Amino acid sequence: MMRGALLVAWTAACAYAHVGSPDVFLEGSAGPYPMYVTIRPPSVIPGVAEIEIRCASPDIQAIHVTPTPLTGAAAEFAPTPDALQRSKADAQFFTGTLWMMAPGSWQVRIQADGAKGAGQLSVPVPAVATRAKPMQFALGATLFVMMMVLAVGLVSIVGAGVREGQLEPGMQATTRSKRRARILMGATAALVILILWSGNSWWTAEASDFAGNLYRPLQMTASIVNTSAAPNERLVLTLANPAWSVPRKIDDFLPDHGHLMHLYMIRQPDAARVWHLHPEMTASGVFTLALPPIPAGQYQLYGDVVHRDGLAETMVANLTVPRDLAGTPLGGDDAAGVRGESPDGAHIVWDRDPAPPKARQAGVFKFRLVDRDGAPVQDAELYMGMLGHAAFLKNDGTVFAHVHPSGSVPMAALALANPAAGEDHSMHHMSGLPPEADFPYGFPTPGDYRVIVQMKHGGIIETGIFDAKVD
Amino acid sequence: MADSIAFPVRAEPRAISLSTIPWYLWVSVIGVTSAMIGVHWDISWHRSIGRDTFWTPPHMAIYLCGVIAGIWSAYLILATTFGRLPAVRASSVRMWGFHGPLGAFVTAWGGVAMLVSAPFDDWWHNAYGLDVKILSPPHMVLAAGILAIEIGALMLVLGYMNRAQGDERLRLSWLYLYLGSMIVVVLQILAMEHTSHVQQHSAWFYISVAIAVPTSLIGVAIASDRRWSATIVASVYMLFTASLIWILPLFPAQPKLGPVLNPVSQFIPPDFPLLLIVPAIAIDLLRPRLRASNRWLQAGVLGSVFFVVFLAVQWAFAYFLMTLAAANAFFGTMYRDYANPSDSYEALSMFMPPESNFWALMGIAWLTAIVTSRIGVGWGEWMRTVKR
Repeated sequence: MMRGALLVAWTAACAYAHVGSPDVFLEGSAGPYPMYVTIRPPSVIPGVAEIEIRCASPDIQAIHVTPTPLTGAAAEFAPTPDALQRSKADAQFFTGTLWMMAPGSWQVRIQADGAKGAGQLSVPVPAVATRAKPMQFALGATLFVMMMVLAVGLVSIVGAGVREGQLEPGMQATTRSKRRARILMGATAALVILILWSGNSWWTAEASDFAGNLYRPLQMTASIVNTSAAPNERLVLTLANPAWSVPRKIDDFLPDHGHLMHLYMIRQPDAARVWHLHPEMTASGVFTLALPPIPAGQYQLYGDVVHRDGLAETMVANLTVPRDLAGTPLGGDDAAGVRGESPDGAHIVWDRDPAPPKARQAGVFKFRLVDRDGAPVQDAELYMGMLGHAAFLKNDGTVFAHVHPSGSVPMAALALANPAAGEDHSMHHMSGLPPEADFPYGFPTPGDYRVIVQMKHGGIIETGIFDAKVD
Repeated sequence: MADSIAFPVRAEPRAISLSTIPWYLWVSVIGVTSAMIGVHWDISWHRSIGRDTFWTPPHMAIYLCGVIAGIWSAYLILATTFGRLPAVRASSVRMWGFHGPLGAFVTAWGGVAMLVSAPFDDWWHNAYGLDVKILSPPHMVLAAGILAIEIGALMLVLGYMNRAQGDERLRLSWLYLYLGSMIVVVLQILAMEHTSHVQQHSAWFYISVAIAVPTSLIGVAIASDRRWSATIVASVYMLFTASLIWILPLFPAQPKLGPVLNPVSQFIPPDFPLLLIVPAIAIDLLRPRLRASNRWLQAGVLGSVFFVVFLAVQWAFAYFLMTLAAANAFFGTMYRDYANPSDSYEALSMFMPPESNFWALMGIAWLTAIVTSRIGVGWGEWMRTVKR
């Protein structure tokens, strides 16, 4: 039985699949053809997404892509596929555009044809409107001037028509027709003003409707409660579903490599301590977890979930821990890390490129797990079915992305999009693992980031926390 | 005097040679036809293929209308203003220091409106998403432009027709009635979202028709000498729209956008045209008897007759459109666009349920028909006297 909450604090930020990081990065294979896919979804729906594919081998002759919803009737009837353009400078690089007409959970079906036959890969893509584009001043001013020309022109045309339109050729306007013209010009001016006012009201209503279509992530409220089995403080996460044009639920989540929610808890403001936790859903829209030992302070929470239709969401909350909590020791897949510390001296090394990463540039970030002497660990293990997990976090809190060695796509959505490929794309059954993890990703905006990487060896989960400056 | 015609005029009523119909009358008719084909083709494109760019053939057909209108109106206004067409100048109006036929100014206004709508529409798509519906503010600016070009062409022909006699007048009256029917077509397109056959037992359908049709049908008819002018206008509208049903599906088309909820293999045409010919015959039968009446009385009778006759005919015809007998290449009720789900009213051949306040809305539809008829009567009588 729960007793009073210690404290509740939450905020929600604009987020989907990740926070402030809409582009999709995936390393996968279309049949026999390994490829690195980057999809940049439109910020307005309906809108046009950009796609880039870098193929690992030169034997692909053509790539066709088809966007469809990930589930439902529309997933069955695909529109005509589009051919991607092969780069003239780089024969293994293909680009193109995709039209996404409705908000929700979509996929891009990639069909590769080449010397080794045909291969397919489907990439889940969330299609959501995230912003309304303001009108540039120059365009607004031009349209306003033209509107005034049309308004005055209409009044003048009515005046000319009434004044002279009925005259026999060669005759001149009479005083009566001129007076009548002035009256009707006044009436027309009033009508024009009414039309402009109505048009403005209509525009305002349309803009308001569109604002309702803008993506609003599920809201998450975090609180800490004591249980009767003290001293176990429990974290309670309560979800709420704000109005959005796409129907969704707060309890229809798919397990993503074994867990309904992946929760990153990051100490603020230095992001020097991080917990990667997996709360259980104990009631509809309620997730709970026995908290590990946590020092007092401010924490930012990022909770990743995947809906049954494949739509991934990241929920955000703030948590204030007013005093040091004794907590329950970590277990299972839960892990904690402190910047610069290691349980056993082993640590993660980032093999960086000499040049700093650039915003909106897809890349692969390579990490190695080494022992205290700098030699590769010999007992590397999979952590939740993968060689590693990474989180890319912008220091101002506007970006958070949970990325795997296959990319930024949640495994559960990827399995939904590629049912023939098996339950998921992780590596449960591999042995003799390399102590290395590569993460395909691209920073969305310039600035200062933290990169949090977790890898496992000999039953120990190591955490590396790195700084990255993005140009 | 500021408002008087400021150049030496020669009084030469009816002296303009009309032995041949001037080229700009013909090209204005071609331009208007191009726009109407283009708009219907574009809507079909959106229902069959989905994706477009600025450079699709239907867009070219639409903007060809703007180009043609711009050319002929600019030519007429500039040539008249700078004295190249003295005969036209004698029958021109003056605006902002320019001279030209009234229709040329109206058309030029329409051309500018079409021009303005393009960047506005482009911004709209970038801000709120690509085309998903006909009725949007930038589309209304485009529609106002096309409508103005049609009315401008009508006014131009009208000026010549009202100054002409005999065979010349007869020939011009055909052009005039054809352009009038194109106005009915464009207004019908604007009402299209409320006039599909599954909506024809709903009050909003009748309100939409009452807004869109009587002004143009009655206005154009009244300004014509012809006994069966409304019938001709309604017939051309019906033939034009029906021909789209017969022609468009002959061409293959496949959706290039998802979500695809219904497989499509050819262009999807519009709904079968409304049976406007029947109320039009009634209007033509009544018009001679009402000519001397008060305008409101004319509007009351013509509007009521239009509403009642159209209601009776279309309500019954809608039942027929729901049957398998109408699901053929002639009536075309089986064509559904790619985004039409399998549980839609169209797929199930079911009428949308009538509104809860159906009878109150039908009363509004009837009153609307009278008001729009009154506008039509006033407009038509003014057009009878337009000579410039």
